[in-house]
Amino acid sequence: MAKSKSHFCLKKIIDFLINIGKLKKKERRGWILRGIKNPETIGEHTFRVAIMAWLLGREKKLNVEKLIKMALIHDLAEIYAGDATPYDGILPKDKRKQKEILNQWPRFSKSAKIRQLLKRKKAENAAIVKLISKLSPGLKKEIMNLWLEFNEGLSKEGKLIRQVDKTENLLQALEYWKEDKNFPIRPWWIQIKELIDVDILFDFIEELDKKFHKKWS
Amino acid sequence: MKEKKFYLTKEGLKKIQRELKILLALRSKKAQGEIPKILESEEVNPEYLSFQEDLEIVETRIADLKQILKYTQIITPPSPEKQGIVNLGATVLVKMDDQIDEFEIVGTLEANPSLGKISNESLVGKSLIGHRVGDEVEIQSSVPMVYKILKINYNYLKMKKNEG
Repeated sequence: MAKSKSHFCLKKIIDFLINIGKLKKKERRGWILRGIKNPETIGEHTFRVAIMAWLLGREKKLNVEKLIKMALIHDLAEIYAGDATPYDGILPKDKRKQKEILNQWPRFSKSAKIRQLLKRKKAENAAIVKLISKLSPGLKKEIMNLWLEFNEGLSKEGKLIRQVDKTENLLQALEYWKEDKNFPIRPWWIQIKELIDVDILFDFIEELDKKFHKKWS
Repeated sequence: MKEKKFYLTKEGLKKIQRELKILLALRSKKAQGEIPKILESEEVNPEYLSFQEDLEIVETRIADLKQILKYTQIITPPSPEKQGIVNLGATVLVKMDDQIDEFEIVGTLEANPSLGKISNESLVGKSLIGHRVGDEVEIQSSVPMVYKILKINYNYLKMKKNEG
């Protein structure tokens, strides 16, 4: 009896793992838009977010187990909801104009900001519900709770992951910029300076600034 | 050690009080072995249910919310002579890279840059504070970033004050 129950759960877990395994190959749209060849995938981004969260969360004396789990699930919704960028829906077909827009951090009216956020949240919530629907109630509950804590920033861990996510993104952008100085690094810096408000990340981005701009500019 | 203050708008405070009320009701009903009515309410997001079902998380969240309420400082509109200066609660119209944006300067708990709610502890938020219309605020960075302040108002806060 116990064997068949365990077998049943493992089958569902395997299906789940095959599904989320797609993220290992799914290239991040932000890099595709900038014409990066063989760009970082969502799985690769998640890997470094998890390590960053561990190292920085340990310093902050946060719950590292929760941080790592939260980092691992933070982009799972993208399997169904896709990888959104702030440029979605505003890029013209004209390549020259497209480049101009991608060189800037996009600005929107308040109503457009609300509309975009609600649309995104709805799609991501539906995606995560669909993704975990076949898992056992215990696993489902754990993933959903971690997802809510991250997505709503309900805990110190959730808040840190939200900001580590963007900081890892900046680090990757800086690595691309280091290889090719035509890479438009400016929008990443603007986003970070408007967003980060966790002390350890201030120091982190200051170090990134020193390492990349002072050394390689 | 001096405890950190949590700056909240009146709306933010109400939201926290409402959440605490819901979670306390849930905890008490659960202790009595009942299924709380709140879970049957249409207002509650179904995805939120699993979160509320986990008592350990509920307890942690209740403790966090109580801590926040203990050290809350409500953001109020400044005196008329100081309303031309950016401070917490200000809505600031800025120009940057030939683009216009509107920021609301809020405390870290209410910050949500996707909605234009910038934390007073972020680099941009704290740099804007103390400046007036016409000022060009430079953010320290290897990538030059200058925000020109076009307009400052506290209408949002005043509106909330009148409602309250």
